Amino acid sequence: MATHLHAPHHRVEDFRLVTGTGRYAADWNLPGQLYAHFVRSDRAHAEIVAVNVEAARRHPGVRRIYTGEDAIAAGYTKWFVILNYPGRGGMQIRKPMRPALAARRVRHVGEAVAMVVADSPAAAQDAAELVEIEYRDLPAVVSPEEALQDGAPLLHEDIPGNLAFEYEAGDEEAVKEAFARAAHVSRIKLEVSRVAPSPLEPRACTVAYHPGEDRYHVYVCIQGINMMRRQLSVATDVPEDKIVVHAQDVGGSFGQRSAAYPEYCMQMLAARELGRPVKWVSTRSEGFMSDTHGRANTITGELALDAEGRFLAMRVDWIADMGAYLSATGSASHTRNPSTCLTGVYRIPALYGRWRLAFTNTVPVAAYRGAGRPDVAYAIERLVSQAAWELKMDPAELRRRNFIPPEAFPYKTPTGSTYENADFPGVLEKALRLADWKGFAKRRARSERAGRLRGIGIATVIENTGAGLFPKDQVTIECGADGTVTVYSVAQSSGQGHETTFAMLVADALELPLEKVRLRESVQEKGLIGNHTGGSRSLVGAGSVCRLAAQQLLAQARSAAAEELEVEPSQVEYSRGVFHVRGGREKISLAALAGKRRLALTAEASVGSTFPNGCHIAEVEIDPETGVSRIVAYNAVDDAGNVINHTVVEGQVHGAVAQGAGQVFGEKVVYDRASGQMLTGSFMDYCMPRAGLLPEIRLEDHPVPSKINVLGAKGVGESGCTASLPALANAVMDALRPLGVEQLDMPYTPARVWHAIQEARKGVR
Amino acid sequence: MYAVNYVRPKSLAEAAKFLARNPEAKLLSGGMTLVPTLKARLARPSHLVDIARLPELRGVRAAAGVLSVGAAVKHYEVATSPVVKKAIPALAELAGLIGDPQVRNMGTIGGSVANNDPAADYPAAVLALDASVVTNRRTIPAADYFQGLFATALEEGEIIVRIAFPVPKRAAYAKFPHPASGYAMAGVFIAQTAGGVRVAVTGAGPGVFRWKEAESALAKSLKPAALEGAALDASNLNEDIHASRDYRANLVRVMARRALEKLSGRK
Repeated sequence: MATHLHAPHHRVEDFRLVTGTGRYAADWNLPGQLYAHFVRSDRAHAEIVAVNVEAARRHPGVRRIYTGEDAIAAGYTKWFVILNYPGRGGMQIRKPMRPALAARRVRHVGEAVAMVVADSPAAAQDAAELVEIEYRDLPAVVSPEEALQDGAPLLHEDIPGNLAFEYEAGDEEAVKEAFARAAHVSRIKLEVSRVAPSPLEPRACTVAYHPGEDRYHVYVCIQGINMMRRQLSVATDVPEDKIVVHAQDVGGSFGQRSAAYPEYCMQMLAARELGRPVKWVSTRSEGFMSDTHGRANTITGELALDAEGRFLAMRVDWIADMGAYLSATGSASHTRNPSTCLTGVYRIPALYGRWRLAFTNTVPVAAYRGAGRPDVAYAIERLVSQAAWELKMDPAELRRRNFIPPEAFPYKTPTGSTYENADFPGVLEKALRLADWKGFAKRRARSERAGRLRGIGIATVIENTGAGLFPKDQVTIECGADGTVTVYSVAQSSGQGHETTFAMLVADALELPLEKVRLRESVQEKGLIGNHTGGSRSLVGAGSVCRLAAQQLLAQARSAAAEELEVEPSQVEYSRGVFHVRGGREKISLAALAGKRRLALTAEASVGSTFPNGCHIAEVEIDPETGVSRIVAYNAVDDAGNVINHTVVEGQVHGAVAQGAGQVFGEKVVYDRASGQMLTGSFMDYCMPRAGLLPEIRLEDHPVPSKINVLGAKGVGESGCTASLPALANAVMDALRPLGVEQLDMPYTPARVWHAIQEARKGVR
Repeated sequence: MYAVNYVRPKSLAEAAKFLARNPEAKLLSGGMTLVPTLKARLARPSHLVDIARLPELRGVRAAAGVLSVGAAVKHYEVATSPVVKKAIPALAELAGLIGDPQVRNMGTIGGSVANNDPAADYPAAVLALDASVVTNRRTIPAADYFQGLFATALEEGEIIVRIAFPVPKRAAYAKFPHPASGYAMAGVFIAQTAGGVRVAVTGAGPGVFRWKEAESALAKSLKPAALEGAALDASNLNEDIHASRDYRANLVRVMARRALEKLSGRK
């Protein structure tokens, strides 16, 4: 009996979240807690000549002030980096030393230099203003391309050329040979802007140290307790089992919340040394200059085609900005993810990619919704649409001609990944109908008559969901004597709706009403192995195991019921929470059974990557007088595998498309080239998307179920970003190309679009 | 925010007296700029003197060809006031374009005019309509009042009581909002007054200014084409990461034309 699945279902967590009764990181308060405030660098690159904390120390209420020397003395200088594979020519990734508080040198504006711990937040902040830091300025470099050039200011003395890592994938020679015989070559150089992810919830952390148990309790915004614990342990050398991470609600994560930040480690040190809990809540301004940034890739792409428009080869040269230090995820996100999907949805016989990861005097870059996949899809899809324009072909037809056909799956790509299954032509045709692709010429003519430029953009994309950092996902399930089933998972939700979707999977398997099933995430006492939420994997991983756990619980209960009813298990039938003896009148409920016996177990599975894919088609209208772009239509067809809850899936796609639109039309972190100062340090200058940016998004699904997980799910958290960046950018380019604009980078702000139009009209381009 | 004392005087006289005795005190009238400034610790007044509820600063009246708006009247009130809509509909429209609903329900016209943010909307209306800024000491003509970036003719301890707008024959405002902040990147207010056509520009330069060349052109013809020949010196306009001088100059022209098109639609 499938009572719950595949239907729209409102989220059960929303009442709590929208009525202010959620519990976010800053909502945790512990008796006797002290407050931390961080003194941050106002320089992009400078030697620290002296730090004078005497005046600050004398300020009333100050308990202790920590500086970089304390961080070094504690040994808090090494950080967890998930990248664990060799690069080009066997190169190992170069991990710079990063004291949890800057010592001797600062490398970006906002880097924490000192921590004041005091009795109140105000006392800590007041004292922080009394900390005197003497700097000797060094030349700064904020552009990754410039950082890699000879003679660029060097950030880390032991890392030559500011090069963190060089990586390659594919067959360089085969690509060279294919380009030599190509009938047409398209080239593009793109910038995927650096963005400040800006979750609604600011970062916050409270740490308590319990000397009796010798354990640290860390209350913090996370994507998963195990990932946070692993990183804190690497940075502080405190064993993982001595760190207990607590979280209930997380207000947005986007990759940025997976990191163990230096602030948390310093709070651990202070909590132990001072014997009192230490709390810190970030301001939005601090967030801009200390929370990890996203994207920040410069990509040069080339596509070789034969005379019939068939792709022969593609190569990319990719410069990834890592910022001043390595985050846990940035380096792997911007090499392995794009190389996994380098062929896109196309059969391209020869592929080659080369990646260089650069250090710059900027905030470190980490995974950000899609984590390299939107970036590579952006490069491929911009290139393909440009090729169609150059060859005077319909961009849909050029795609159709080059798709990996359905019968070719499982498809081994030239860069070594294996796509499980997909129906690209089916997805495309559905999207073309949904978007009325054929009617575009009429709509464009109508816009023209009103003095506006109209463009249509298409993107057909694929991405790999995360295989996971931990080897398996475990879920514990328990049935109480009141008939309530509690499910424990370590994949923390930060808006994905796990409490609804995972509960549906369990309630459906157990034929129980949804309210009888409760999900509890991030309960460390359960000791579960499992991955954090990231890489669109939590339904595929933890969700699948929830389903397995429910099925196994039912089997366990059936055996127990058979014993209680004194029949063979095969004689026991189950329906809606009650076991019956077949053909008899004896019965026992799940609740009654749980009152007599322990009904509980831990299920597990190792679930690899799935490959969600889709086709998004956007239309924009541009006012040439002001350069303002308006999204006038957005259509999306996604293959996310089997959809468990349409409401949640639509919410994920809406949010991700809006996030992509925000980046395409407004968001960009800008640093001053000379001083290294951040010029977009608040929402006055950093343009977040507003609700009015998007029209109604029209969605359809086209599920080709995955076979690698019991749900047939493929993951959907990030695909909206992956598809919307190229779909929207292609729409803008389609509107501008007829004027002679050949290439324009995001963000398509009114000023940038207007200037492009002016220059094209002047014939400058 | 640094610790600060909050006081709410009961009358204009009491407020003035308090200011005279406390030179480091700051007036609070909505606080839509002041409060964020305090939160960022960029100001350290001794007191916040909340005048937003003073009866002398409240009320909207139209009489003898003058629309008088109390300094503590909120943007939302101006946007929805039947009196304003009848007398100067463009002013109501302008107020409805300020910030967002939260800002419009907190911010006041007196606070905005006193702050004189170069990208605020109200200064364009005050200057184009040749309004007077009436304080507890004197009446200041708009031409003398605005003195560039955040600078005004207000003296220490002087409090704006109301703004007196001569009702024009027709007026219109067109605004291009800054994509991030929502402030005017260029806002153009055009008024057909007894003294002729006046064009005031906000957002594009270091302070609100009259575009005299456009005024001369429009004195001859109110057709949008008349604007095409009007010179506009872009060298005095703002340039930053969001927009070049040239782009701002273009916006001024486009907004002026759109304001003029609206104007033609009004009786």
